Amino acid sequence: MSGGAFDHLKALVVEDNQHMRMLLRSLLNALGIAVVFEAANGEDAFVLLRDKQPDIVLSDLSMKPMDGIDFAREVRMSKSSPNPYIPIIMVTGHTERHRIEAARDAGVTEVLAKPITAANLFQRIGEIVDRPRPFVKASDYFGPDRRRHAVEGYAGPFRRRDDFENDLAVR
Amino acid sequence: MAKLKSGDMLAKASRVIAMRTAELRGAVLALVDQLEEAMRAKDWPTVFAATHEIRGFAETAGLNATGRIANGLCHYLDSIEQLGAGPDGAIVSLHVDAVIRSARTEDDAARHGDAVAKQLAALVARKLADVKEAARR
Repeated sequence: MSGGAFDHLKALVVEDNQHMRMLLRSLLNALGIAVVFEAANGEDAFVLLRDKQPDIVLSDLSMKPMDGIDFAREVRMSKSSPNPYIPIIMVTGHTERHRIEAARDAGVTEVLAKPITAANLFQRIGEIVDRPRPFVKASDYFGPDRRRHAVEGYAGPFRRRDDFENDLAVR
Repeated sequence: MAKLKSGDMLAKASRVIAMRTAELRGAVLALVDQLEEAMRAKDWPTVFAATHEIRGFAETAGLNATGRIANGLCHYLDSIEQLGAGPDGAIVSLHVDAVIRSARTEDDAARHGDAVAKQLAALVARKLADVKEAARR
């Protein structure tokens, strides 16, 4: 772990519920992140992303008019995005598999399930700081590599099944 | 040293949550009022939205049973939507009543502990199995 060396980070919290926004701000402050910007919706968040250049985004999933999934997709895919590479932690009470997969496919870096605990938030930020994932660009996706499993015995650059099966067969 | 520092920060962050428990409980109760009103008006989108918000907040506010019951209702509503069926009003109503009562009860754990949440979860499991069975036929 990073040992909690998060004090150099600037965070942007995107959350329509004022109480949750305050809670997240206080938690981030307690974890050493002193600079925290707040937005109540995706549109305002885009402005802050451009003007304040945060290092990390924590976004709620359920927001109106733009929800967290659409916001993440805009950040990753839009030509006007100020920073398509910024790590996004999706904070959500929607823990159903299809919603988590939708968040992943929109380019979300980490998912933090509510109820939030200090340990879980710390772990997600630590993961981003200590183990940044490479980005992948495909016709319908841009974001962090969605495949986290390492294949034993294969250290090559390609990740499709055929690639490592052929490589292992040759050896 | 690094480990010690992260331990201190985690303890501090946990205290932040503890200090905000009363405020968050107030927020949950406001959402419960919204839920009750929406239920009375049969405004299902608001019932769904308020229940999800309550699920996200309740346990952080120390309302563990409320969180578990809201979680069960969210699971039911989400699964039934995935199955392309409509929600059973009685199931929703039972959960909403339990959410309201548990959130407004001071002694959350004693009156609305695991028993209610487990019974409702079993009911949801039975109902979802019925819907899946009907869809298979």
